[in-house]
Amino acid sequence: MTASRALLFALLLVVGLALANGRSAGASEEDRNFAGSAQLDYHLVAGGAGAPAAPAPSTTFEGFTLEAALKVAADLSDHLSANVKVCYGCHGFELDMAYFDLRAFDELNLRVGRFSPSFGAFNLRHDPANHMTSDKPLPYDMGRMLRKGDWNEGVLPSPFPMNGAEINGTHWIGGVAQFDYAAYVATGFKNDVDANPTDLDFQESHLPYYVTSDPRPASGARLALTLKAGSDADMTLGASGMWGTYDPANKLTYAIVGGDFALRIERTAIRMEYLVRRQQMDVSNPDIFRYAIAPVDGDFFAKHGAYVEVEQPVTDAFDVLGRVDGLFRVGNVSNVSVGSGGDTIVASPLHERAALLRETLALAYAFERNFRLKGSVELWEFNYADSTGRDTELSFHLGAVGSF
Amino acid sequence: MKPLRLAALAASLAVLAGCSGGRASEPDGLQLSADARADYYLFAMRCSKCHSLARPLSSGIDDDEYWKRYVAKMRRQPGSGISAEDTVAILRFLHIYAQDQRRRKGKSLDAPSPPPPDLDASPPTGAP
Repeated sequence: MTASRALLFALLLVVGLALANGRSAGASEEDRNFAGSAQLDYHLVAGGAGAPAAPAPSTTFEGFTLEAALKVAADLSDHLSANVKVCYGCHGFELDMAYFDLRAFDELNLRVGRFSPSFGAFNLRHDPANHMTSDKPLPYDMGRMLRKGDWNEGVLPSPFPMNGAEINGTHWIGGVAQFDYAAYVATGFKNDVDANPTDLDFQESHLPYYVTSDPRPASGARLALTLKAGSDADMTLGASGMWGTYDPANKLTYAIVGGDFALRIERTAIRMEYLVRRQQMDVSNPDIFRYAIAPVDGDFFAKHGAYVEVEQPVTDAFDVLGRVDGLFRVGNVSNVSVGSGGDTIVASPLHERAALLRETLALAYAFERNFRLKGSVELWEFNYADSTGRDTELSFHLGAVGSF
Repeated sequence: MKPLRLAALAASLAVLAGCSGGRASEPDGLQLSADARADYYLFAMRCSKCHSLARPLSSGIDDDEYWKRYVAKMRRQPGSGISAEDTVAILRFLHIYAQDQRRRKGKSLDAPSPPPPDLDASPPTGAP
């Protein structure tokens, strides 16, 4: 059975079960709930924003950045709800969510529209009001990392809204174990700008109109198990995967897999995630690559990313977070920056085993319940020097986030 | 901005923070019994897993029925850790909190406010 047939079957099943339940439309009054957030962050790089000769787009955002979002959730009936969220950030306005949930029961829900498919643990907390640092863990970074032009962002920049459909659900076993699953087909990522695509063009994937020249949808799934030990502790283990093609000819594939673990003991949270993306490249033009194309397995690279963090409330208003995260990229290197259209060759500073390690100490203080000040210091260590010879950087974030 | 200026800004904010009485998650001015305190603790534990407690505490929702539906919705979130048993205690706290919210808004504690959650009955299922 193909993925689209499976989804059609699931759609019919959900509709049928909802109708059979006999409590669908009109069973309760319509409820709407508004929420929003805005974060202003100042990013200071002690040694300057980086090497000017690095590939475009620019290497680092230094200075002020703003993220703002407004969300409305509406419960239309006992079984049907809708969510719409609009964000404003570095790309301008973006439709982060616009979907309907049609739920037959806890274990079977159909989500259709535009949303970030279920992948990993962090994406649920991607709104800046829901995490203690101004930026995101490197595997999920979207633009705030140093030398982002070298790396073309993290492994899976979050959020990653796509158009598609997802079946998901949750099941409790005896009040101590919660099992979650999700499976989806969605537009996926794309790059139909470059003549010889070598990586996903995340910026293009976010641009309206939300259509793609790649007609074959991406697909993926997630499984997670949460175990509780009384009221003071719980633990979650999860695994996710996504697969798709990203070029107009549907020949170049990407596969992303990840594992996550979270432990909470009282208000202390320990979280870790690992992601890896295997990315096929168009190697038909060897001139754009830094190294000779290997005859076997020379047409892809792998980008690994991981983080471990500990979050500890110190007082009712004051939180401390320590995090170690990093990226590791193995494979040939394109000298054409992603999204440039393929006509600008600039020597990439990356080599075939490029690595980046970052250590972060962050403090967050809530002046009021809905207004939090965030500060962090980050030590960056690269295993390659930029054109100015630097391989270590220190940067600071000072930001404020409000939510309602 | 020079590092020195940034440091001065950070120091000013730190002083300001020290002068303010930041309360991030406590229900302001609400006197809770020992039992209600335990319910609040469970509410805080579960709900702060994915978002700050500002979301529910500042939502302005003072309708018990709405909370019942909303907590059921949150319970279905992946990895929420909110079991059916947890919803009873969480709704008990939110009922007290909603009562206090209505009192502060000058609303009647009886009609037209909706009935409190049916705490003796089974907690809300996935299909309320």
